Amino acid sequence: MVARKPIFAHKEDANAREALTLYEAKQYKKALKLVDQNLKKNLSHAESLALKGCCNYQLGHKSEAENYILRALKNGSTNYLVNHLAGIYYRNVENYPEAAIWYKAAVDNGSHNTPILRDLALLQLQTRDYKNLRECRQKYLESQPGFRANWTALAVSHHLNKDFDAAVSTLDKIEGIIKEHLQEQDMYEHSECVLYKISIIFETGNVARALEELEAKSDEIRDRLSFLEMKANFLLLLGKQKEASLIYRQLLQRNPDQASYYQSLEIALGTSNEAPEIRLKLYDKLSSFYPRADPPKILPLSFLPASHPEFKKRAADYVLTQLKRGVPAAFVNIKPFYNDHHKASVILSIVQEFFENEINNFPPPVFVWANYFLAQHYLYVNQLDKALCYIDTALEHTPTLVELYILKARIVKHSGDFIEASHIMQKGRSLDLQDRFINSKATKYLFRANKVEEAIDCVSLFTKNDDDAANGLGDLQVMQSNWTLVESAEGYSRLYYEQCALAKQEGIESEKSTETMDLAEIYLGLALKRFMSVLKVFQVYENDQFDYHSYCMRVGTTRDYIEMVKWEDKLHSTPIYVRAIRGFTKLLQEVRVELLNSETDETVSKEKKKRNVKKIKQINVKKKNEVMARVQPSPKDEDPLGQKALNEFREANKLLSQLESLVKQLSLEAANYLFTWDLAYDFYKHEKKYVLALQALRSWSKIVDPQNKKLRVVGNRVLDLQSAVEQDGSVNVAIAKVVQKGLESAFPELSEGQENLLSVYSH
Amino acid sequence: MGITIRRATIRDVQAMQNANLLNLPENYQLKYYMYHILSWPQTSFVATTYDVDEPEDESSEKDVVDQLAEVNLAGFTTVDSAEIDPKGDSAYINKGEKIVGYVLGKMEDDPDAEDKIPHGHITSLAVMRTYRRMGLAEKLMKQLLYAMCEVFKARYVSLHVRKSNRAALHLYRDSLTFEVTSIEKCYYQDDEDAYAMKKVFKLEEMLPYHGHSEVDDLTTDLI
Ligand SMILES: CC(C)(COP(=O)(O)OP(=O)(O)OC[C@H]1O[C@@H](n2cnc3c(N)ncnc32)[C@H](O)[C@@H]1OP(=O)(O)O)[C@@H](O)C(=O)NCCC(=O)NCCS
Repeated sequence: MVARKPIFAHKEDANAREALTLYEAKQYKKALKLVDQNLKKNLSHAESLALKGCCNYQLGHKSEAENYILRALKNGSTNYLVNHLAGIYYRNVENYPEAAIWYKAAVDNGSHNTPILRDLALLQLQTRDYKNLRECRQKYLESQPGFRANWTALAVSHHLNKDFDAAVSTLDKIEGIIKEHLQEQDMYEHSECVLYKISIIFETGNVARALEELEAKSDEIRDRLSFLEMKANFLLLLGKQKEASLIYRQLLQRNPDQASYYQSLEIALGTSNEAPEIRLKLYDKLSSFYPRADPPKILPLSFLPASHPEFKKRAADYVLTQLKRGVPAAFVNIKPFYNDHHKASVILSIVQEFFENEINNFPPPVFVWANYFLAQHYLYVNQLDKALCYIDTALEHTPTLVELYILKARIVKHSGDFIEASHIMQKGRSLDLQDRFINSKATKYLFRANKVEEAIDCVSLFTKNDDDAANGLGDLQVMQSNWTLVESAEGYSRLYYEQCALAKQEGIESEKSTETMDLAEIYLGLALKRFMSVLKVFQVYENDQFDYHSYCMRVGTTRDYIEMVKWEDKLHSTPIYVRAIRGFTKLLQEVRVELLNSETDETVSKEKKKRNVKKIKQINVKKKNEVMARVQPSPKDEDPLGQKALNEFREANKLLSQLESLVKQLSLEAANYLFTWDLAYDFYKHEKKYVLALQALRSWSKIVDPQNKKLRVVGNRVLDLQSAVEQDGSVNVAIAKVVQKGLESAFPELSEGQENLLSVYSH
Repeated sequence: MGITIRRATIRDVQAMQNANLLNLPENYQLKYYMYHILSWPQTSFVATTYDVDEPEDESSEKDVVDQLAEVNLAGFTTVDSAEIDPKGDSAYINKGEKIVGYVLGKMEDDPDAEDKIPHGHITSLAVMRTYRRMGLAEKLMKQLLYAMCEVFKARYVSLHVRKSNRAALHLYRDSLTFEVTSIEKCYYQDDEDAYAMKKVFKLEEMLPYHGHSEVDDLTTDLI
């Protein structure tokens, strides 16, 4: 039977379908034309509105697009085509939660378009809606069972729901189906899928079965390293030490520089608690097999006590070999043993004796490296004069060695002279203009000396600078150079505080101080802007995972995919991110305090406030141009000095919602940071959300005082919250009770009074 | 610090990107690092520091499971208890564990590539200056070459290097026996020429213990 063309009730509908076909063929202009015709006749035609939104987006009229989508949804919220287009739009603008809602609506409203199911699954993964994901993957598999990727994807969805058995049986099933059809080009994917399955079996706790499967599938596994690592681990857990030890020996043959293999081997051999002599014998044997490997040489230094005669011998061998070879890291490598001060003094004596008695038997560079070592030693023990003395001797001897300048700059930095430190680093840089590492160091030191623009110029020697860009800032942002962004933000913050302090000295009302405050204002804007650029980078990092929800299913790299999902879940606990948020929120608090002050300060009339704002803006023009000339932002930048962003934060809502979203994000992802709970506590206390403040306080105290030594800082904060609640006249009585009860149950000493609490929390 | 050489994982990508930005002018967005790890998880390696301190005593009472938990098997650890690095240095991925060198490798995956024989590329290699000249780059490369060959059946690997990069040239040509196949004019952004280099694999030579005088026979007791 010949399919009949669908008959539409209205011409608009037919037109819209035609426009849709054009849209799908990427003929956006033509589609838009048709849609516009429709809308002339029927202003509220939902499908046309939705298409218009999507076309506008594709044609670059991005700001107009969403409005049409919203209108389309208003007029056709149950129309699956409209839903689908809305979903597409939101996915394009990377608003994944909203996109997921509309894709789901399209399915629920009767769309039979199966690719929607696949797209919806990706959005459910992105938004971590694992519950609904399974059904979606299952349905899609039913429609497309001929692709292994769809089976793998279903298994992953079971796995993410912790339904290990379903995951394993799905993988088993497809393995069985595909067995006869595997070709050479499928074997990598197959190998990865098999290893994935085994890792899930292992996760269920059934180690014996995992091992059995691993051995049965050995021939199909390409990734021999994973195979051996899993096997060794399984054997060890099953108590088959001897067999495990043989696998670790094989692993060492492959990679004798993997330190954890030595530790595992010792567990297998049961030598971890043996006398040092026995362990030494083991490491000596291994060292004879792997003479160039580092672990068998360094690990004995940790288990040999300082008093053991072998310690000095081995340590001397270790350190002096590196000194003689001119290894710059010789000190850093041995430094961990400084935790034990007996070992530290043995190490020092080794180098000193060598320096005094033997140095003349070696070529001159060894003399330089020995001085370099000793300078590091004295820097470490904080005797800066001595450190300087040694490094200067080295420099006098070889003024062309970059490493010496790096160290001297560090020593001078420790003495507090950031400017001089940066000069020294610059000198080092000038000796090796090709090396980006020394350029990075020089840049960092310029930042620390608050020479932010000079620092940017320095790092820009290695960036790709667009034709119309005066410096590499744009490239640093695109290439996600977080360290530079954070350093420059911190530099501007310091300059901001410097100007604030200066204005205070100058006196509030003086002409001069207004100018100083203008500059402070500009630095504040710049600092906020740079911190926000780090937030943007992390938004990109978060969105980056999207494509891999489908890609990894096709390639088969599901073990690493699962790791990626877990990693993304904790993305915002990355040290550099937390550092950026620390600096950012500190500035936001400043803005907030400024706002609070101007609100409560009734002596300042509204008129005057307005005038102040105006005045700042007037003078800004001159100052602004001055600073612009220094900062040289990209001409395309709409908010080059961050003033727009700053003024937006001055509208309290924006500031509070920004703070709140950061507090929530860190509480979820960076719960191991003290800072997270500091921030959360302050925020909730100020917002009078006392129950949340109490929770933050409890999480905080667990990190501050993990051994529950009852520190005074904890006691103080308990009282701080208690008195905040007591003094707040507007607080709901029930809430006040909940907080008081909560405090007493977490800190029982409080029920017997504040005095009592402080007497216990006195450490 | 002890230094360990291990396979790179997705948790390392930010610190690898950081090491790249600090050491090289050719930079990539994070997604490209992810692309490497999620396409060829076996062909990228990192050099990281680790605490060589003995785990606290009482270990005699720990069973194998506890002891194993202290060993970071493949870099797949999640540290939930302590702050990773309060100073906020991008090099750190765990407490005491920072990335000081990496090599990022890929297989040829361009469907239009001329040579259909499976082969690999080195995308990027760097070691922090303060950790150079300890053999880390060579060790990283050797792990990568062996893995490419074993897992992906690569027959050869190729790379580009700046004509003026003495250290890298020494490493590739002298230590790892790569050959220069051609000179590509103005290959780099700043118009410097590149040497295109290549190494054809022989699996048995790739084994890390190839050429050692004393080899573990895997049967004799070690002690
Ligand atoms: C190139 C680089 C990775 C080498 O790292 P490394 O860990 O110091 O190298 P290794 O210690 O493994 O050295 C390997 C060999 O190269 C030699 N070598 C290292 N640095 C050298 C230098 N500056 N000059 C001459 N030879 C050098 C070593 O002596 C060693 O040779 P050997 O086996 O004959 O003793 C490092 O210098 C670096 O990161 N440079 C900046 C980034 C870069 O250029 N990457 C390469 C891009 S293609």
